Amino acid sequence: MEAVVVCVDNSEWTRNGDYAPTRIRAQTDAVNLLAGAKLQTNPENTVGVLTMAGKSPKVLVTPTPSLGKILNAMHDVDVDGQANFDSSVQIAQLALKHRQNKNQRQRIVLFMGSPISETKDKLVKTAKKLKKNNVAVDIVSFGCEEENSEKLEGFQQAVNSGDNSHLVTVPQGGVLSDTLFGSPICQTDGGAGYGAGPGGEGGEAGGSYQFGVDPNLDPELALALRVSLEEEQARQTSGPSGEPVTAAAEALQVPPGETQAEAGSTATPAATPAVTPAAPAAAPSNDGPEPMDEDALLQQALAMSMQEEQPAPSGAGAELAATPAAAPAPASTPAAPGAPAHPPRPAGHGDEAMADAEGEDEALQMALQMSMQEDQPPSQGGGNGQHQGGS
Amino acid sequence: MSRQGGCSCAHDHDCESNDCGPAWSLYQHIDTPRVWCLNELEEHSVWQCFRPWEQRLESAQPPLRSNEDDAELLIHVPFNGSIKVRAISIIGGSNGSAPAEMRAFLNREDLDFGVVADMQPTQKWDLQENGNGQLEYPTNAAKFNGVHSIDLHIPNNFGADQTEIHFIGFKGEYTQSKREAVNVVYEARALPQDHKVPGEDRKMPELM
Repeated sequence: MEAVVVCVDNSEWTRNGDYAPTRIRAQTDAVNLLAGAKLQTNPENTVGVLTMAGKSPKVLVTPTPSLGKILNAMHDVDVDGQANFDSSVQIAQLALKHRQNKNQRQRIVLFMGSPISETKDKLVKTAKKLKKNNVAVDIVSFGCEEENSEKLEGFQQAVNSGDNSHLVTVPQGGVLSDTLFGSPICQTDGGAGYGAGPGGEGGEAGGSYQFGVDPNLDPELALALRVSLEEEQARQTSGPSGEPVTAAAEALQVPPGETQAEAGSTATPAATPAVTPAAPAAAPSNDGPEPMDEDALLQQALAMSMQEEQPAPSGAGAELAATPAAAPAPASTPAAPGAPAHPPRPAGHGDEAMADAEGEDEALQMALQMSMQEDQPPSQGGGNGQHQGGS
Repeated sequence: MSRQGGCSCAHDHDCESNDCGPAWSLYQHIDTPRVWCLNELEEHSVWQCFRPWEQRLESAQPPLRSNEDDAELLIHVPFNGSIKVRAISIIGGSNGSAPAEMRAFLNREDLDFGVVADMQPTQKWDLQENGNGQLEYPTNAAKFNGVHSIDLHIPNNFGADQTEIHFIGFKGEYTQSKREAVNVVYEARALPQDHKVPGEDRKMPELM
């Protein structure tokens, strides 16, 4: 839990366009990002803003938990004068001293984009005073990194106490926000900053805990997350077959049993009604994660093609062959819709050929068939015709 | 066992045979995670200062040290209840690193070096260098009642670059009391069924 005062360099040097679009605009973006990250890490954090240049350093926003105020203030920053490092740091320290909540730790984040006029000794003296009062200081150096590097390094070493202060240098042409985001300045408190980097949340946010929640700190939340993940996985595995099963093997056996019974007992015209009841069952499970069930889909397609080829052996259907080509439908579940897709293939084709080369095409065709059937329930005869593809 | 500058040794008996320990039991009531010390070299090294009386001369952990070249220390000690402090014992390091002066402030949460420099302490003592733990510094009893937190400011030591403190003990009485809301329910959203008032069970007319 900390109170942060951000010192923004709005001296004349920041009109420079070497950091896109100008140094001052790059700072604005970086400050907005940083403030958002800090405020999100802990709801009791406060962030304030201070400008370093002009006639004298000025506190634009006293430490506040409201991001809107900070964004507004950054919007109105004017470029003028020369940055006064020492004075800004002391005023920031004073602003922190008068924070509302004395339990917050004190931190200053300072952006330096112009040459520093003070001597290194003076800076080190100020740094020691800050360290004595338990104030951490992070510095983002850009623009004049080489000129300032010695002074800033001396400052950072003097103020650092137990690795709480950092010096980040942004090279020429770099992006301030991105560099800042990846630096230890934003990644604090166990890496729980603003999303903790792309894709980092899964394993990394909050340290090494699954779900990013420490079971010791919040056992109920961790349990709830774990249970909901398990339920979701169970739902997904049971989705494609329309029955509550947990293994793909079981899912595989059930649909072949269904379609076999239905296809065997009815003539081809009845294949459509068999398909349509299965289609609504299959439709909800269309939303399941396809990549996870591709193997299951494949095998179900195989099984169903074997059955369908017996009761409804039909020659290749030009119409049916044409339609799948026209429809780039996403993969779907292999319930009965798999059947109509097969007739277009020459009956002599081995299942292996289908499996190897065209498993996904089958799935596409199934999806297409299903969607066509749903659109045309009254014209089952037409659907039939499409099924048979000219038998 | 001399009396100089406000300190006194109340032990005119052998400490080991007569058990002084229980009187110095206030260390149990210190809210240790909320203890902080300004200008300490290593963070949280102040926590090891609070030990049972019997262990005052030995410690597994390094002592509290101030930053190099700076002898000042400001230690904030909050308690879990309400204390009457009768005496304070403090054991410093050797070679001039022991604290020379101690200033106490009561029940303040907002102190730092700038503030304490100008403030009048509740009481101050000139300390002796040689502390085998036999010295205790009595307090002005009337002022030290109802204490919830003590801030000890050490402005200087006996000439070394760093100040070292091995042990801090408080003698006195403890009464349990908490400074917080007594019976609180935090609601994210108020639900009418949680706020039934007896006698008001007639139905409210539908307004919509």
